[in-house]
Amino acid sequence: MAKKQIIKLENVWKTYQMGEVEVNALKGVSLDINKGDFVAITGASGSGKSTMMNLVGCLDIPTKGSIFLDGKDISKVSESSLAQFRGQKIGFIFQQFNLIPTLNALENVMLPLEFQDIADDLARKKAMDILNLVDLGDRAGHLPSQLSGGQQQRVAIARSLANDPEVILADEPTGNLDSKTGSDVLKLLERLWKEEGKTIVMVTHDLKLASHAKRRIQLKDGQIVAGG
Amino acid sequence: MKLQKSFKLALNILLHSKLRSWLTILGIVIGVAAIVAIVSIGEGAQVSVQERLSGLGADLITISPGFDRASGGFRGGFGHGRRSETPSIESKNLTKRDIQAIKSIDGIKYIDGVISGSANIFYLAESSSGTINGVDPLAWRNIVTTELEAGRYLGPSDKNVIVIGNRIAESTFKQPLTLNRAVTIEDRLFKVVGILKEAGGFGGDDNRIFMPIDTARNILEDVGREKFDSIVVKVDNPGLVDTVLEQIEARLMISRHVSERNKDFSITSSKATQERIQDITQTFTIFLAAIAAVSLLVGAVGIANTMFTSVLEKTKEIGVMKAIGARNFDIMLIFLINSGMVGLVGGLLGIGLGSAISSVLPNLISGFGPGGQLKTVIPISLLIYALLISIIIGMVAGVIPAYRASKLKPVDALRYE
Repeated sequence: MAKKQIIKLENVWKTYQMGEVEVNALKGVSLDINKGDFVAITGASGSGKSTMMNLVGCLDIPTKGSIFLDGKDISKVSESSLAQFRGQKIGFIFQQFNLIPTLNALENVMLPLEFQDIADDLARKKAMDILNLVDLGDRAGHLPSQLSGGQQQRVAIARSLANDPEVILADEPTGNLDSKTGSDVLKLLERLWKEEGKTIVMVTHDLKLASHAKRRIQLKDGQIVAGG
Repeated sequence: MKLQKSFKLALNILLHSKLRSWLTILGIVIGVAAIVAIVSIGEGAQVSVQERLSGLGADLITISPGFDRASGGFRGGFGHGRRSETPSIESKNLTKRDIQAIKSIDGIKYIDGVISGSANIFYLAESSSGTINGVDPLAWRNIVTTELEAGRYLGPSDKNVIVIGNRIAESTFKQPLTLNRAVTIEDRLFKVVGILKEAGGFGGDDNRIFMPIDTARNILEDVGREKFDSIVVKVDNPGLVDTVLEQIEARLMISRHVSERNKDFSITSSKATQERIQDITQTFTIFLAAIAAVSLLVGAVGIANTMFTSVLEKTKEIGVMKAIGARNFDIMLIFLINSGMVGLVGGLLGIGLGSAISSVLPNLISGFGPGGQLKTVIPISLLIYALLISIIIGMVAGVIPAYRASKLKPVDALRYE
């Protein structure tokens, strides 16, 4: 039985205008990400990795080609409905954690639910459950600045899980952490993949980190050179 | 996103804002405080004008000779006439015939023909000049709006007696001029039979000396027999003033054989005077408030400036919010509400400061206006308007920054450092 396709890239090109020069960051990339995948996208800097991450995360629209998120062509929907759709389907984890500094841990985790108009009580309960899942239930009232790097990243992971998304997209999730907390975060991701059945897409330059993934895609000069 | 959540996030931004935002708010505070203080002074002036003028009697109509097109303004002509109140030729003076002409108008209660002029007064070897009003004792005692402090009004059989205004009694001479004292006016001896209470304000009776008209005709040289400097009419009730005024005007135009074009008399009511003075104070208040509004405008530019910086600072957060599902409209609303809140806080502090200033001001500035005390009045509507305006200013100033924030592309915003 064919696995359910969640994100599909079809001959995707991304071209940036750098002054007079046109730079092709991606050149005709095609990729399927299926439910239950644990994919690592690797490549040296300048390989088109970040562009790939933005497109897979539906944060950007391709210059040429199509991207389907859960069967929907993302260049055919309005910016706002894409935002809402993205919020439901994809959870983001960033290298810099990117928590809202003025909101406490619980409020940060509640935020994606609030953008989906989930009732306050429900959102609060759900967010609390997820914080407990990442072992931060006792830190719910802390501001990001009162948390360690590893704790912040766990809050960010909790936030990415809030809307129960199909895919978790992690951009260098351990890049800002020491090796011990980094491996804790990685273990958490693996647990989410194994136990919760989440689809995980990890973008990294770290081959050791990538080796934990079940499927590795290597980018070079805007093209997939291995694992496509 | 639900509206209450947008409010919560906007409030969160405000509560965590830096000194810069508070300085911005200060701009609005100063503007609003200035407007509240100025308008409260203007309103206070209105109220005290009203209080003073209502003493003049809202049921009185005054007819005077000569006509000025902009009533109350410049009376044309140089070298005509001998007194400024009677700018033109003798024939234009008011006469007994004019009183006859209007006597039968319905609604008129009393008619008092008055002559007036200045004369020298001697009291205990001191000399001063004062305004003499020759009045019909019977009509006058019913028309006069200033109450007696001591003594009595003029009676029908009085001859060489006077009733004096409060200031003449109290402060014109070194020794107060009291009841039953004698003063010399133009070589005749007069006895003070009445002293009026302080009338205060505009055109009051404080500096006047009242005597029977027949006696006054002997003292004031340039008033012919049968002639008057003004005719004061009291109507049955203030509601009739306008209709009676029109009828008087029509009758006099017929009896004096003049038309609208060459009218040689003017006719005013104290009601009209009140309205005119209120117009003036109102215009003055609006003018000052407009100046204060400029500072609000500067405050608005300040808010816009801070909002731009704030959006720039929060670019990455905006990117994150968009990545996790915020729509453009959500972002727009958060920042718009935030700038509205800046206006609201500025407005609240501003009306607080403005009210404080306007309550302290009367104690700081005394003796404002003729014999009066500076008065301030803060109508609730002023506070509500001030608050609404500052919220609107905040939101208008925030429109462009908020729109920009909403249009940020998530990719670009996330990359922003």
